[in-house]
Amino acid sequence: MALISTRQIYERLASVYLPIAIGVFAFFTLLIVLSVLRYRRRDQPSRRAENNALEGSYAALLVCVVAFLLYLTLTDEHKVDSVANHERPSLVVDVTGSKWEWEFRYPAQRIVGRSGFVGDQPLVVPADRAIRFNLASQDVIHAIWIPQLEFKRDLIPGAVEHVTLTFTRTGTFDGQCAEYCGLHHAEMTFRVRVLPPPAFARWATAHRGGAT
Amino acid sequence: MTVQASRPRPAMARPGGWWGAVTSTDHKRIGLNLGCMSLVFFLVGGIFALIMRSQLASDNGHVVSDYTYAELFTMHGSTMIYLFVAPMAIAMAMYLAPLQIGAVSLAGPRTALTGFWIWLGGGLVMQSGWFAGDGPGRDGWFSYVPLSDSQNTPGTGQDLWTMGVTLAAIGMLLMGACVLATILRRRAPGMALLRMPIFSWTALVTVLMVVSGFPALIIAMGLLFIDRTTDVYIYSGFAGAIDYQDIFWFFGHPVVYVMFFPFLGAAAEAVAVCSHKRWFGYKAFVASMLAFSALSMAVWAHHMFTTGGVTNQYFAATSTALVVPAGIEYFDLVGTLIGGSLVLRTSMLFGLGFFVQFLIGGLSGIWVASPPLDYAANDTYFVIAHFHYTLFAGSVFGFFAGVYHWFPKVTGARLREGLGKVHFVLLVIGTNLTFFPMFLVGEAGMPRRISRYPQHPGWVTDNRLETIGAGIIAVAVLVFLVNVAVSMRRRVIAGDDPWEGHTLEWATSSPPPPLNFTRPLPPIRSYAPLLDLREQVADAGPGSGGAEISQEVSA
Repeated sequence: MALISTRQIYERLASVYLPIAIGVFAFFTLLIVLSVLRYRRRDQPSRRAENNALEGSYAALLVCVVAFLLYLTLTDEHKVDSVANHERPSLVVDVTGSKWEWEFRYPAQRIVGRSGFVGDQPLVVPADRAIRFNLASQDVIHAIWIPQLEFKRDLIPGAVEHVTLTFTRTGTFDGQCAEYCGLHHAEMTFRVRVLPPPAFARWATAHRGGAT
Repeated sequence: MTVQASRPRPAMARPGGWWGAVTSTDHKRIGLNLGCMSLVFFLVGGIFALIMRSQLASDNGHVVSDYTYAELFTMHGSTMIYLFVAPMAIAMAMYLAPLQIGAVSLAGPRTALTGFWIWLGGGLVMQSGWFAGDGPGRDGWFSYVPLSDSQNTPGTGQDLWTMGVTLAAIGMLLMGACVLATILRRRAPGMALLRMPIFSWTALVTVLMVVSGFPALIIAMGLLFIDRTTDVYIYSGFAGAIDYQDIFWFFGHPVVYVMFFPFLGAAAEAVAVCSHKRWFGYKAFVASMLAFSALSMAVWAHHMFTTGGVTNQYFAATSTALVVPAGIEYFDLVGTLIGGSLVLRTSMLFGLGFFVQFLIGGLSGIWVASPPLDYAANDTYFVIAHFHYTLFAGSVFGFFAGVYHWFPKVTGARLREGLGKVHFVLLVIGTNLTFFPMFLVGEAGMPRRISRYPQHPGWVTDNRLETIGAGIIAVAVLVFLVNVAVSMRRRVIAGDDPWEGHTLEWATSSPPPPLNFTRPLPPIRSYAPLLDLREQVADAGPGSGGAEISQEVSA
């Protein structure tokens, strides 16, 4: 099975939701504006106060719209969950959040990186590989937010959460804590360096036992 | 033997003056006091927002420290939600619903008065944190544990915040319960539930959600207070953190609709009256209100999609289902406009502004109801844009529609139309300039609650536009205050029914007398009894007994 990234799922779902939203907004705004232009200051306002057949069919249409949106959302949610939980990972990274730093620990490679208020050692990952992140927090709730993946997950103290994510593009991207966690929350940032798999293998060998 | 005639005791001797005003058990006085105090808190919360926007005008602003910034966003959200929009919703329900249903007084008036003072006390306790050594609450308006426990946020300010929110919630619960009892038990003869005006229905579902949702807030905050101030740890570990969020949002989502329905009702009444037509699709609207409030009790964990601690699919389904009742409202709006005779008074402009702008908030709400989309939007400026489009571009516009519509009833004087239109235009420009760019920076990844941000392409420009927009909103609000001051000083007498109203509050004097009605009520045969009378006159035609009815109408 080809790897699906959370970003692809987001973009596909957004490409359906966004036109619907814009269409509905334009439709109602146009109706309201046209009604205002057409029905301004007339002599005999209509007394019609309901139209049950029309209202009923409209409500049925709305139910169909809800069913359609839910079908899309629930199938995509299932895909995110299977990507996030069931993909066999080719790399494991333990991510620990604390006020106000990130620790990225690669247990197999014995590499550690720290970023945030204290430093700027990036999270380094291979592209097109499933990566298992074990998420934990030492103090308060943090949230790992990587806009490039269109994905975030809370780090809640007292439990370890597991997500499996895939980066499909190489490059350097931003990451940040998204859940307010106290005074230096704004500085709890990190960078993600996504390398082609061979380059990542060379990097991992070179940094074995050291820092990112 | 002389018979000493006992002097008749004055039946309703109430103290006058300011003491009378603050101890009155008249629902109109309590509602007005609550509304005016809420408006003061609106100005206070607005000042907090302006300081934050000044800080964010540049990427590395130095207007305030990180510490003060946290205090500001906490107190901005807390003030606006606990001390402005929610109490203002209750204030409008308290003032108007008894009049609309033909009640002479409130059920449980002393309870409501007590509720008002407890709420105000709570608000002052919360704001008094500014004078505490470590400042006021600083963990956001929902103050998640464990950040808000005594270890991570020690100090008096956060204690005062917790106690202030608890008290404000108790006060609103008491007032909401009294309005609920009034609507259920004190309707005039003939005022069946299915003849209640649109606004009264929105008031009814609002107070239903107040009595079912607010106890959860009182519990969440009471337990947090115990957790903070004693050796008992309530919210410990993973389960404690999730439990707090569950209890909090079990209040926190219904309150979103508490802060929406009465303003929807106000906008709908303003639009119907200014269209010279009764609100379209009454029964569908009532059914959709009930569906809305029932669903709103079952969507709370869509605030927790990224925790991994809730069943996302269920909450996505209930949240997306809100499309149905919300869609019906818009259908009814268009149905009301079509075939009407529209007059674009300020109240109508604000009413239409409410519907158009709220649509952006509602549609973006359907967006974030989808977990894969919310994984990106959660805790970013996208969410800030979404809920400000519902609460500010929506509810506040509905509130102003209500103010321009009912100001003559409450004060006896009209607001100036010219200033009102300036107010409207400025507020539309300011609102969209402030909140629309937030969708863009949020989609680009900017998290909420940061006092400094990276110089990504467009972020500084967007943030600067937002700051300019916030300034325009401030000017618009000043124009409104000037309008109120001018209109009160140099009064244009409104009369009992300046707009050809539909509902019973227009069948009494402006302002209404202490027991609301001195004349017999007109017959109540629908949700628009005064419009019924007017139509009857028109049908009868001249010289066929129509004169008597028209006398009744104008009396």
